[in-house]
Amino acid sequence: MTHPNLELQLDAYLDGELAEAEARELESHLAQCPECTRFLDSRLALRSAIKARIPALRAPDTLRQRVRGLQRRVRIPVMWRSLAVAASLAVVAFGGWQLGLRRGVGEKGGGETLVAEVITSHVRSLMPGHLTDVPSSDQHTVKPWFNGKLDYSPPVYDFAGRGYPLLGGRLEYVGGRSVSALVYGRRQHIINVLLWPSDRGAAGAATQTRQGYHVLHWATPDYTYWAVSDLNLAELREFEQLLQQADSAAAPR
Amino acid sequence: MEFAAVVLPHLDAAYTLARYLTRNDADAQDVVQDAALRALKYFGGFRGTTASDGRAWFLAIVRNTAHTWRHQQHGGVGVTEFNEELHSDHVAPTDPVAAVDLRKAVDALPLEFREVIVLRELQGLSYKEISDVTGVPVGTVMSRLSRARKRLQEALT
Repeated sequence: MTHPNLELQLDAYLDGELAEAEARELESHLAQCPECTRFLDSRLALRSAIKARIPALRAPDTLRQRVRGLQRRVRIPVMWRSLAVAASLAVVAFGGWQLGLRRGVGEKGGGETLVAEVITSHVRSLMPGHLTDVPSSDQHTVKPWFNGKLDYSPPVYDFAGRGYPLLGGRLEYVGGRSVSALVYGRRQHIINVLLWPSDRGAAGAATQTRQGYHVLHWATPDYTYWAVSDLNLAELREFEQLLQQADSAAAPR
Repeated sequence: MEFAAVVLPHLDAAYTLARYLTRNDADAQDVVQDAALRALKYFGGFRGTTASDGRAWFLAIVRNTAHTWRHQQHGGVGVTEFNEELHSDHVAPTDPVAAVDLRKAVDALPLEFREVIVLRELQGLSYKEISDVTGVPVGTVMSRLSRARKRLQEALT
């Protein structure tokens, strides 16, 4: 038997965690204690077995790219700050931005610009502190929050029971107007749902993937929906189905 | 130090820890990505100056993210608080499958043992660093490490 009170000491000795004096003391004990020496040998055997049999893991390249992508996002606010310093530049940038919006709303091919805006909105929401204006998993807290901020009251659901919990809501400015953004979660993924009242003859459904984000678009008689996430497409579609079912269940007959 | 210099060099370590804590590649990737996002958020509070400061800091975030993930997965149900006495050396005879494969034996360890083994044996952190990452005192790190090794040795024989 090992001296049980010495096991922690022996481990610490092996890990190079003992102070010099303690190490010397233990070594002189080891010299005359075969049990403790056997214990130490078994630990050394374990260590070499771990080294030999457990290969080092490498982060997958996809993960590496995703994390690099996060890092690029934080540079954006810095860019905005420098724009703010050069006021004239900022005016030019803002003018151009508005032009882009107008085109987005006016033209038939404006969907392109809208997709870009939806993705930008999603990316911006992932920056620290931007995700929600009203963080709540309670649809009866989130829905009334939009009162007085928008000229419509967006339908808000909670799909926590289906694994898509409501995380909150915020105001967005997309397609040239203020719109509601609802935030849902799926494991570690964030889904942003942007919606506003449908124009007459609103566009049908579309799916796009850009910069690693999936964007789903659909319209009900009442609302135009955009859902964006880095979640896999199959689950994002399932989420779309949940929203559509909830909408048709809530629709007046 | 820049965020990239603090986090990117430790991505393999972060993934390894997350992989062993979640026991699953896809979840490990999600956990690391979420941890990186949190790291960005809290980066202003990082006061370290060396690469190993950055490693311990980032691994602590990965570890906490993985624990949060675990509680979400289990919905708080069936997750029993770790009990130093209960999870002592006398529970659970060694899984015969685990005895074949050391890596499976590591996977079969209780979470609190698994994380100290991964941090020490696979990533070479000091006791103090492991204490920083896991938030438990050095003395507890030592006893968990010792018990974890004992279990792995049983799996080896």
